[in-house]
Amino acid sequence: MMSLNFTQNYFELFSLSAQFSLDRSLLARNFRELQAKYHPDRFVNESDQERRVAVQTTGYINEANEALKSPRLRAQYLLELKDVDFELCDSTHDMPFLMAQMETREALEAAIEANDALDQVDKIGQQVKQDKQALEDNFQQNLEADQLELAKDAVLKMKFYERLSDEVKRLQEKLEDEMFA
Amino acid sequence: MALLQISEPGMSTAPHQHRLAAGIDLGTTNSLIATVRSGDATTLADSDGEHLLPSIVRYLQDGSVSVGQSAQAALIDDYKNTIASAKRLLGRGVEDMNTLAGVLPYEFADDTSAVPKIRTLSGDKSAIEISAEILKTLKARAEDALGGELNGVVVTVPAYFDDAQRQATKDAARLADLNVYRLLNEPTAAAVAYGLDQGECVDEKIIAVYDLGGGTFDISILRLNRGVFEVLATGGDSALGGDDFDHVIAEWILQQLGENQAVNDQKNAKKLRQILIEARRVKEALSHAETVMVSVDGFEESFSHDQFVELVEPLIKKTLFACRRALRDAELDKDDIMDVVMVGGSTRMPIIRERVGEFFEQPPLVDIDPDKVVAVGAAIQADLLAGNKPDSDMLLLDIIPLSLGLETYGGLVEKVIARNTTIPVAKAQEFTTFKDNQNAMTIHVLQGERETVEENRSLAKFTLRDIPAMVAGAARIKVTFQVDADGLLNVSAEEQTTGAKAKIEVKPSYGLSDLEIETMITDSMTNAKADMEARKLREQQVEADRTLEALDSAMASDGDALLSDDEKKTLLDVRTVLLAEKESGTTEAIETAIKAMESAAAFYVARRMDGNIRTAMAGQDINKFKN
Repeated sequence: MMSLNFTQNYFELFSLSAQFSLDRSLLARNFRELQAKYHPDRFVNESDQERRVAVQTTGYINEANEALKSPRLRAQYLLELKDVDFELCDSTHDMPFLMAQMETREALEAAIEANDALDQVDKIGQQVKQDKQALEDNFQQNLEADQLELAKDAVLKMKFYERLSDEVKRLQEKLEDEMFA
Repeated sequence: MALLQISEPGMSTAPHQHRLAAGIDLGTTNSLIATVRSGDATTLADSDGEHLLPSIVRYLQDGSVSVGQSAQAALIDDYKNTIASAKRLLGRGVEDMNTLAGVLPYEFADDTSAVPKIRTLSGDKSAIEISAEILKTLKARAEDALGGELNGVVVTVPAYFDDAQRQATKDAARLADLNVYRLLNEPTAAAVAYGLDQGECVDEKIIAVYDLGGGTFDISILRLNRGVFEVLATGGDSALGGDDFDHVIAEWILQQLGENQAVNDQKNAKKLRQILIEARRVKEALSHAETVMVSVDGFEESFSHDQFVELVEPLIKKTLFACRRALRDAELDKDDIMDVVMVGGSTRMPIIRERVGEFFEQPPLVDIDPDKVVAVGAAIQADLLAGNKPDSDMLLLDIIPLSLGLETYGGLVEKVIARNTTIPVAKAQEFTTFKDNQNAMTIHVLQGERETVEENRSLAKFTLRDIPAMVAGAARIKVTFQVDADGLLNVSAEEQTTGAKAKIEVKPSYGLSDLEIETMITDSMTNAKADMEARKLREQQVEADRTLEALDSAMASDGDALLSDDEKKTLLDVRTVLLAEKESGTTEAIETAIKAMESAAAFYVARRMDGNIRTAMAGQDINKFKN
């Protein structure tokens, strides 16, 4: 098998330019092309060694794909390419931001008690989506301006929105199930 | 056909070395094997012409084993040595049996190993060994039909199977001396069978696979794109299947009998079975007729399709809920679904086809026999993996159905690989020490979506030793998860700040050869809370059935002798309450009703205990009342 060049970064791997905005369909197409070439299913009758290489190679391709598909992971990866380190315990210290997060959580808790609970949760969901988009724009601006610490802070904040979106989704699902039951 | 078989021996004489390969659908109720011959994928029949092999294994005193129809015949008379639905036990730990065993009539060996074993006449057997017997039978069937040894097989598994269950399936195949090319998700196999990837001029296609088997329901959403299959979401109910539809009819018959005859007609298990068999016949007949005559033991009454639909409505609704949830998990709408594939014998019911069609706003695909479709798809994939179709560009990409994570401080789980990640995949995460000079660290690997350790499935626990002495927080321990194309996990860990590297590899396994691996199996089959609740309800219903059966058989044998009319009436009143709660009550309500039944019957049990009728209570049914 032609072995994959592991020294390429994720963007190079998929022939994409290293930037935050992403051509999703191009990523999907190139992802599938690489998979078709390296997937272990192509090597079931080959030697153990070849099969191990295939597993590792597709593992790397999948990891790269996951990292680029998610805006937060893509943003983090772009910063890591610029030698910005992320530690496990890193978090944002932006107090107003954290307060706003708490308020949104409280609003969600209040919303599910309301008569029009689903509408209210949907509304908060919309707001979360907008805020998330604004944060991604903010990241892009800071990255372009080479304000790496600010960009990193934006990435750390994205995690909060991820959790918030999950919570909104969970509540929507619960409320809908109750409606249909 | 016979001539064609001879012309295709598949051995080395063929110019392009055709390898013999087969697809196996190892099912909870039935199993099948299929292969590609002369370009067509077909399931293989046994010498009696039967394609479906009941997934039932019987162990006999002389150490021999019978599998399939012959074992099925002994299911009732030799139930302790005849094991059905072993698939439900695959990859399950001893602790799971406390919940599962409630509905299984087997005796489990008090073994200290992680793998639960069923006590049989020819020794203690694990689900892996039992499944291996089924696989051996299928292997022999294929090798007879093909006239040569199988080079490799594709075995299908439910898309939601976790690592332990996949590993156990693979171990069973290994035990049956099969070379497994690949474990394949059942819904993916069904999509392959329909050739849905070969749609004309469509770049991308989203499909739903609705699989209603005898005892399980699964819904999967797949994306197909130029030969690439991706599982986007899965859902379902491991305790809902066609058998429940039979039960609904059986309940109706019982109710009718209750009105027309003495209530004691429920007294013996044989009668109940007779009713169940009739219920199944009625269900199947209703697929072709508007009304069917129900006839059991002198009782005759017509039963209409409309009545049936009314009774099974809650069951159908439940499956459609799961469809909605799966769509949501995949972040898709109904309109995005371009094809709906029906799998499982229970999808022959017209009402199921109708309601699924309504839900997805299109008629579902039913051309391929729903019992065989999974095996057929597996055969196509096996043929391809064997290298018999070098020009095909079909590639099946699977996802990991449940998140993988590690235990962190405070019994919480940090996810390392999120569910629905395409496999194979490798991911590393760094951890550090929390004490000065800490030289060892225990790594606990879990699978599931919940936040705490207790709520997830423990896959493996191992200790990383010889960490160089450092201040707290200075060590950098890198834990790498690697999941292969079958969804099987390998974990390794190393300390990497200093030149000294400690490294250990662990292969979590519930297999026969790796029993020593420290395992802790928590919680149960499905991580979804709703599923858990459904199961608890189901267990209480079964419990209620047992209690009712015990009372009925006791009353039938000595009720007249030991009870006054008033006492009888009291017991029957409590019985009616329990029956009603069992039908429509919550888990708690049923539990309360069972307790009420037990305490109301306590005097009766006591009365039966003393006196000269000691022999009458030797049956195990009455044990229920001793609690």
